[in-house]
Amino acid sequence: MSDFVEQCRREWRRLGVPDPLAEEMAADLTADLAEAETEGVSAEELLGRSAFDPCSFARSWADERGVIPEPPSRGTRRIPLVLVAFTALAAIALVFASLALATGQPTVSVAAVKTTRSHLPSPPPGFFVRPGGGPHSRQVLLHTSASAPVEWILLLLAIIALSFAAWLWFSWGRSRPPSAPA
Amino acid sequence: MRATLWRMAVERRTELLRGVLDLCLLAIMDEVPAYGYEMTKRLRERGLASVGEGSIYPLLGRLERDGLVETYRAASNGGPPRKYFRPSSAGRMALALGVSEWRAARDAVDAVLAPVKVEVAP
Repeated sequence: MSDFVEQCRREWRRLGVPDPLAEEMAADLTADLAEAETEGVSAEELLGRSAFDPCSFARSWADERGVIPEPPSRGTRRIPLVLVAFTALAAIALVFASLALATGQPTVSVAAVKTTRSHLPSPPPGFFVRPGGGPHSRQVLLHTSASAPVEWILLLLAIIALSFAAWLWFSWGRSRPPSAPA
Repeated sequence: MRATLWRMAVERRTELLRGVLDLCLLAIMDEVPAYGYEMTKRLRERGLASVGEGSIYPLLGRLERDGLVETYRAASNGGPPRKYFRPSSAGRMALALGVSEWRAARDAVDAVLAPVKVEVAP
């Protein structure tokens, strides 16, 4: 019968029953089973069908007694705001960097070319001419994003941040205690 | 068929007992405070050898949670200190109400079943 009590102990521990209460119930059960055995009463007579299912018996007893800690409700287990904000920032950075790389805006690489107006060829596709560079000069801004290292760095940082956020969410989810079985 | 009927009778007895076992326990401990196994013995002495599919422990736990019993620890006969149960004032009130309901239900059911002649083949 000590094995039966030991299995009950394990179940109470799994359910989060406070140790002093679990020990009290285990001690009472041990004493009752020992006295019953002395008087020739079987465990089944004392415990009914529960004698064959210590986990169910332990869970039922602890549940009826109200000593199983309540799982945190959604209201009390709030999603950490810092984590939400961090994830949102990382996502925004990722979107911004992706759009900047896809559209080329904003560009960060500038190439200035001085030339005379008469010999100035038409700008090739992918370039545009900004006015105000003087009568014989034009500033040609590189329109492609391939040479925009800031966007690439931002994209890389955003991916790293999002990966870190995913790991934090995973850790937060695993830290939640399991809900009590019915 | 006979086995099925026997199983149905056992199940009915279990269901009936389940509804009043808390009253039986309160009544038992109201006579003299008792610990778990002692209550089982007293129930057996009065013909309730089996308390159905479960045991009295979860029920005692519920009575304790609901404040219907008070507990204290005291030495038993040569054994370790035991947890004794006795009805609280709320428990005594619950017992009185429960017994009243039980008797009313029993009388009503008896009035319906009384004309039935019972012949059980050996």
